[in-house]
Amino acid sequence: MRFPSPQTDRGRQNLRIALLLTPAISLIILLFMGGLLMGFIRSLNYFPLIGLNEPNLEAYRLVFTDREFFASFLLTFHIAFTSTVIASILAVGAALLLRPTFRGKKIISFFFQMNLTFPHLVGAIGILFLFSQSGFLARILTNADVISRPSEFPALIYDRYAIGIILQYIWKEIPFIGVIVLAVLQSVGEDYEAVAQSLGANRWQRFRYVTLPLIMPGVLSASVIVFAFTFGAYEIPFLLGRSYPAALPVLAVRSYTDVDLAAKPQAMAMAMVIAVLATMMILAYMNLTRRYVRSS
Amino acid sequence: MASIQSATQLREKLPFNWGSLLRWLGIAMLLLWLIAPMIPLFIWSIAYRWFFPNILPASYNMRAWEYAFSPAAGALESLYITTYIAVVVTLLSILVGVPAGRALGLHRFRGKRIIELLILSPTIIPSLAVILGIHVVFIRLGIANSVLGVILVHLIPGLPYMTLVMAGVFANYDPQFEEQARSLGAGPIATIWYVMIPTVMPGIIVGGLFTFLISWAQYITTLIIGGGRVQTLPLKLFNFVSSTDYPVTGALGIIFIAPGVLVLLLTSRYLTGRSAVGGIGNI
Amino acid sequence: MTQVRLADLTKIFDDDFAAVNDLSLDIESGTLTALLGPSGCGKTTTMKMIAGLLRPTAGDIYFNDNSILDIAPEKRGAVMVFQNYLLFPYMNVGDNIGFGLKMRRVDKREIRRRVAEMLELVQLPGIEKRKPSQLSGGQQQRVALARALIVEPNVLLLDEPLSNLDAHLRDEMRELVRSIQRELQITTIFVTHDQEEAVVLADEIALMFDGVLQQYAPPAEFFEAPSTVAIARFFGGLNFIPGTLENGAIHCPCGSFQAPKSGVKAGVSTLSIRPEAIQLGGRGHNDVEGVIRSHVYVGRYARFRIDIGEFQVEAVTEPSQVQHHQDGSTVTLHFPPEKIWVLPPEEEHKDEGNESAG
Repeated sequence: MRFPSPQTDRGRQNLRIALLLTPAISLIILLFMGGLLMGFIRSLNYFPLIGLNEPNLEAYRLVFTDREFFASFLLTFHIAFTSTVIASILAVGAALLLRPTFRGKKIISFFFQMNLTFPHLVGAIGILFLFSQSGFLARILTNADVISRPSEFPALIYDRYAIGIILQYIWKEIPFIGVIVLAVLQSVGEDYEAVAQSLGANRWQRFRYVTLPLIMPGVLSASVIVFAFTFGAYEIPFLLGRSYPAALPVLAVRSYTDVDLAAKPQAMAMAMVIAVLATMMILAYMNLTRRYVRSS
Repeated sequence: MASIQSATQLREKLPFNWGSLLRWLGIAMLLLWLIAPMIPLFIWSIAYRWFFPNILPASYNMRAWEYAFSPAAGALESLYITTYIAVVVTLLSILVGVPAGRALGLHRFRGKRIIELLILSPTIIPSLAVILGIHVVFIRLGIANSVLGVILVHLIPGLPYMTLVMAGVFANYDPQFEEQARSLGAGPIATIWYVMIPTVMPGIIVGGLFTFLISWAQYITTLIIGGGRVQTLPLKLFNFVSSTDYPVTGALGIIFIAPGVLVLLLTSRYLTGRSAVGGIGNI
Repeated sequence: MTQVRLADLTKIFDDDFAAVNDLSLDIESGTLTALLGPSGCGKTTTMKMIAGLLRPTAGDIYFNDNSILDIAPEKRGAVMVFQNYLLFPYMNVGDNIGFGLKMRRVDKREIRRRVAEMLELVQLPGIEKRKPSQLSGGQQQRVALARALIVEPNVLLLDEPLSNLDAHLRDEMRELVRSIQRELQITTIFVTHDQEEAVVLADEIALMFDGVLQQYAPPAEFFEAPSTVAIARFFGGLNFIPGTLENGAIHCPCGSFQAPKSGVKAGVSTLSIRPEAIQLGGRGHNDVEGVIRSHVYVGRYARFRIDIGEFQVEAVTEPSQVQHHQDGSTVTLHFPPEKIWVLPPEEEHKDEGNESAG
């Protein structure tokens, strides 16, 4: 009788892992990385089919010298950052509210999750109908004699500070982050807090020194996803935002669908810049927060 | 009794106190905030002459709904194509994501972190940034402006969720059940079918739900890759918002959210399961 | 120094299930008391009520004659050490132990000093910087103990303190708990389902079945003078023969026996005798004839099953007895009078003394 040597055993194991991963990895490399690479090549003005054989950085020069680009970047960052921070804080609060058992919890949890299934686009329309100057809220306030004309209602849609956009993201992302936090809370249970209480921690101390550190990794993961999404989303800023400055994705799509073919490399360059910026900001964020999680 | 041993009840039911009043107030505000944007959406869909500053329309009719369901609007066609794409994307994600989730959740190997980052990258790098490049490739491959092309690009944002959820589920999966099944005479395929799939089913359902909803809601990827030829519901809806026909927008908006709510009704009990959703919290 | 008194303590869950029913206990200051019983008997519920993590449905809890029901759990000074230790995974050992002092806003340098002291006490000096995940189960248990002791609790509550440990660690830990408790004179209450653990560790044992206190006494009494058949069974008693007690003798269907020691006055009762007290071979009095049904040779001892009429008893003897008695043979048994304990008659349809119950 021969036993397989540990070497071939491990080899077989590695082969199995490779086989399991191959479909997913090839899909991501071919589509995702391929798309990124092709975008990069085109952003360099390299397109042999139409006679562009000399790669250059002209498109990037155009992007970075465009004043709207910087305004757009600041706006997009503001939208993503503000939405993520507010949604994360409110989501933790909502998760804590929905955590204990109470009568009607099932129904309320269902509403909470239902929001998760709504497409952003529908949320944007709802926010538009609710918060525009002739919207539902303005109507209610007019009838309550708080305001007398639509123009007295604060401009929350198409406004400078992108409040409508941020409201929509907060509306949509509270349940997303909240569901993840609830799942974490459920898996850690309440016993750690009981220990802390037994050792003399009051309500606030239990939250600050026990609950928060336990859920923080989950909150951070969820907020990374939310930041990346809100930084790169198109339809919400298009529907609820101003046209100048427009959010970066809106700007990129605008120049991509421009009839002027010469604008296409510029759109590609902008796509690359969005990708790099998103990645950089998220890496920096994760670095900062990892340190926080470790030290607290 | 066993439940008392494991779960400590920190808060007990008390007859009345300010804390619980505040909590209920908070829950009520949360609930109101969650449903508020859907209220005018619904009213608009049945409104007839809703002038400012009336809180409710002067009268109601079903024009928008009749129109939405008429062949002229093309909404039913869009509903069909959107569902078709989302279902195919979900099935493909399961086929690709379950094995990948198993590898990541069950095994430790060199380069695992890099593979994880690679699979996660679509959640971090906006799909808009890659979609333009993909469009160029798809034009050359002849699958731009086609349903196939749209299905392929919808896989990009959906797959990471499927894989993450499955990795979370497989991290709590005991492969010894499979060995037990094999020793009882089950072949490899029977083992997958009778042991692995039923065990990780909650994860497949949650991951599938996420993937379905992500595909269902895609706008810009569909617009660019489909070139306007693949008219999914979000594209239709977008046209109507821009045309400021609010009643039809409201009706289409409700049609757009209905399937998601329906799917959730069927699967919500899995969403509270710790391991399934918890996977997303593990980046 | 804290004396603990439970008065008619009751906890009802879901409006109909009484986890703890009318429990009254006086626990002397500085003693080590075991709440013993099969799982589901209400012992952990009792402990959580003392800690303040559960609110009693009825009854009261007094520390030194002051009711503590309205004192928040974090201010009671009744510190609980959980069965699975629950060291905060994101903190190192030092921060875990210092947690209670940090909550009391004690100066940082003072905390560091006391943490080092505590680690000396639990015999793990110098491991402040380690993470809980780097510790063995026994070490985690000690750290959890140190984390509780550092706040100088009025009452220390231990939930199944030894059940997650290997056998050899268990002895070590048992001695450590015992010596620390003696040294610091902290009133300590611990929960266990293991009668041996309770006997070895505790000054007093409170035995509970189904939420009801059965007997509250020093360990030896549970062996020598249990108050019911169920209690005797829980402590390993096997031989029960119904009879009638009259004038210091119990008359059973199989014969009469002198029984000077009794928990009942007279009348219908139950004879009990521990397996190791039964002697093979007659002495001329308190003897009874039996037929050996079966036997096992265990090495250190031998165990015989013997039919006495319609009853069966078990006798544990010297291992060498196996050579003198065959299965099926008749044997005379001797029940030494001072080893017989007379109990009230066994209640019917109750099998709560079984350790697997619940």
